[in-house]
Order: sequence, then structure tokens, then C-alpha cells
Amino acid sequence: MPSVPRALHSFVGAKRSLFGATLPWALAGMLAIVLASCATPPPPDDPDAVADFKQTNDPLEPTNRVFYAINNGIDTVILRPAAVAYRFVVPGVMRQGIHNVLGNLATPVQLTNDMLEGKPRRAGDTAMRMVINTTVGVFGIFDVARKWGYPDHDADFGMTLANWGVPEGPFLFLPVLGPTDPRDAIGFGVNIVLDPFTWVGAPHDTGLTVFHWTRYALTAVDARERVLDSLDQIKKTALDPYATFRSLYRQHRHGQIDDLRNDKRATVPAWFPQPKATEAQ
Amino acid sequence: MIHRRKFLSSITAASVTGPALLATPRSALAEAAERASAFVKSVGDKLVAVVNNPGSTSEKRVAMSQIINAAVDVDGIGRFCLGRFWRQCSEEQQKQYLELFHEVLITNITSKLGEYRGVTFTMGRSRPQDEEAAVSTVVMRPNNPPTAVDWIISNPATNPKIIDVVAEGTSLRLTQRSDYASYLAHNSNNVDALITAMRQQVSPKG
Repeated sequence: MPSVPRALHSFVGAKRSLFGATLPWALAGMLAIVLASCATPPPPDDPDAVADFKQTNDPLEPTNRVFYAINNGIDTVILRPAAVAYRFVVPGVMRQGIHNVLGNLATPVQLTNDMLEGKPRRAGDTAMRMVINTTVGVFGIFDVARKWGYPDHDADFGMTLANWGVPEGPFLFLPVLGPTDPRDAIGFGVNIVLDPFTWVGAPHDTGLTVFHWTRYALTAVDARERVLDSLDQIKKTALDPYATFRSLYRQHRHGQIDDLRNDKRATVPAWFPQPKATEAQ
Repeated sequence: MIHRRKFLSSITAASVTGPALLATPRSALAEAAERASAFVKSVGDKLVAVVNNPGSTSEKRVAMSQIINAAVDVDGIGRFCLGRFWRQCSEEQQKQYLELFHEVLITNITSKLGEYRGVTFTMGRSRPQDEEAAVSTVVMRPNNPPTAVDWIISNPATNPKIIDVVAEGTSLRLTQRSDYASYLAHNSNNVDALITAMRQQVSPKG
């Protein structure tokens, strides 16, 4: 039986080998920066400015902007060129197939979150998608399930926490992770723990390590390629791209969470007399 | 006692007049929603025609700005985007700002035209909200996943105008407003600085 702590250790080990012993120091340094630079609140005699400050809900803005600048630098040098090359080399149909395979690999986490959110119909959609697309859709290359009436939806542990009533907290811009908030940052970590692929196989298995990193890298490049035009456009047209990304991130998350909360499809089987409540909607 | 009697009589009054009052607004609301839907369809068709037609960028820009000026409440959106600073502006600043806002909006939209070649859209449902109506559409672009776009229409029954576009839950005017608010916050709340920055954005060099 592959022990859970060992698998976790190997996962952490993979991360450690990347960052080496510098990671604790980097974290300590980050903490020092966070504590040192908080946004100065406006004077209390300016109620409009105070209201703005509260609505922006970004008390760590100076620190967040530092990480935004660092991420932006990394993006300009590595991720964006990789995405441009990916778009140039790989034809659109193949990119769509790769995107579908990555999405199919993520269905176990999606299914777990659907269930934790208490949304049986969403969980049913995800389960059908997993079964249909893995088999008829050839390992998820073709999204057959969508055409058969099982559309995709978003589900992650950040949304699950939101559905449980956990507040989002202040805005954060983290290295590598990008725009987020404490709730979504925790959600990101829990999603990795919920992923069965984190736990399968023997630790230090070369094939598995290659699979993991290929999956991470492809996910990053695929996600970046899909927003290539939008990000270029925002950076070109926004006066303050950081503030624009902050606003867009929050609005997008609120939209996803609203969709989740408003998904009140009945769980009554089709052959059973349907409750009237669904007709009123 | 008096309290309760008042309460009871108000309930009876409401139960008598309620249905009569509700009947008219509901059909008016439904009509407003239908009109909003028809309005979005006609504007959408015009926009798609311009985007997909061959023609030079400058020709398209002219055609686009005609449609936008007729169908979009650009001044209203502009005022919304400046937020609390609108009241603090001089009339001259307000005038300069709105003129530039028109140009910025049209420049931003026309610079995206290339990406939207081959665009189509399908109409969804239309929901009345107070004085406004929200019309859902799904926009399809070649090699892109379908995007849910909601159009917010003011005064749908009398004088319909687009006051916001919400793509996948992100509102155009809210995003623009937070961009300007943040820029102003980092430029000592000086609207002239914002006006200068906008001028640079629409100048051919910027």
C-alpha cells in the first residue's frame, strides 16, 4: 500500500528540489516584505476615499504590486513566449484536444468539489463527462459529453469554500499563482491534495514525475495561450493593468460562484412527477 | 389595538389592489424585456456585419463609431467610470473627459476587430431589472470557446441604450471604473492627470 505521507513527501520533495534550501528563506523574506509594506489607509475625514479603500479591499497593495511586477517579468520572458510558440507550432484542433485531455484529467477533483458543494446534478454531469469522454472521447481528446447534454462547469475548492460561506478575504497577488485571495489560495492547495494523481504510484518514479511536470507545464501553457489576446489587449488599453486584473479576477470569481449558487436543478428522476418549483424558475 | 387594526386594513387593501396593481407592470415589464431583446438583436446584427465585412480599418472605425454613438449611452458610462470624481470636476474637465472617453472606447473596440473575424451570436433570455433590462447572448468566435455576454439596457421601453456589457461575469464599466479609480488614487486624485493619460492613449503614437 503506497502510504499517504510518503506520497505527500515525494510531492513536497519535487517542489523542494526545484527551490532547494532557499525556499524557507524566500518565505521569510516574503513575510518581512508583507509586514513592512501595507497600504496606508486614507485620512478618516474623507469618507469617499475611505469607502473606496474599503471597497478595493487590497490592504497589501504595495506588496501585491511587487509580486505583480515579478510575475509580469517572468511572464514576459518565459510564459508568454512559450504560449506564442505553442500557438505557432501546434494547430488549433490539436490545441483543443490537448485542452480537453487536461480538463478530463481534472474531472476527479471537479467531481469531489461538486459533491462537497452539495450539487448532485453538477456531480452527475461531471461523472458522465468523465465516463463518456474517457471512453468514447478517447482519453478525453474529444468532448463528446458536451454534445450529449453534459456541459462543463467550473468547480474548485475555493468555490466550495465560498459555497460554505467562507468570506474571500483581502486581494492577494502571489508569486507564480497570480491574482487570488486567501480563500482561493487555500483552495488551490486543497485541490492538489484532492487530486488522486497526487497520490498514485511509487514516489521517485521517473515516469510519474515526468507525467506530473508535463501536465503542470502543459496546463500553464494551455491556460496562457487561451488568454494571449485578452491579456495583450488589457496591458495595452488599461491605465493601471494591476487594478484592472484585480477587478477582473474578482468579478470573474463572483460570476462563477453566483452560477454555482443559482444552479438549483432538481434531482428528481425524469420518470418521476416533477416538482412545480422548477417551472417557476 | 389601533395598531393591529391598521395593519389588518392595510393587508385587506393590499390584497384587493395588489393583483390589479401587479397585472399592469408585469405585462409592461415583459414588453420592455422583449423590446430590449429586439434592440440587442438589431445592434448585434449591425456590429457583426461591420466586423465581418471586408474593408479598411479606418472605414470600419467610422462605421463602428456611428453604431456605438447611436446605441450606447457613452456619456452615461463615462460618468459612471469617473465615479465620485465626476462631481469634483470643473465643467471644462467634464467636457474634455467625455470627449476623450468616447475616443478611448471606440479605439479600444476597433483595435479588437481583427480578433472578431467570423463572429456570430445567439440570443438568450431577457430579464427586466427595475428601469433596466439584461439581455443574454452567447458570442461564438472561430477557434474560441463560446462566451456568455449580457447586455444591460437602460429605459428598454422608451429609449433603449446599452449601458454595460458583461462578458463571462465581468462588467465593462465596473472594470473601467476600477482602472480609473486606481490611476487617480496613484496620481493624487488629479483628474487632469487622468485626462492627460487618456489623451496619450488615443494619440496615434500611444
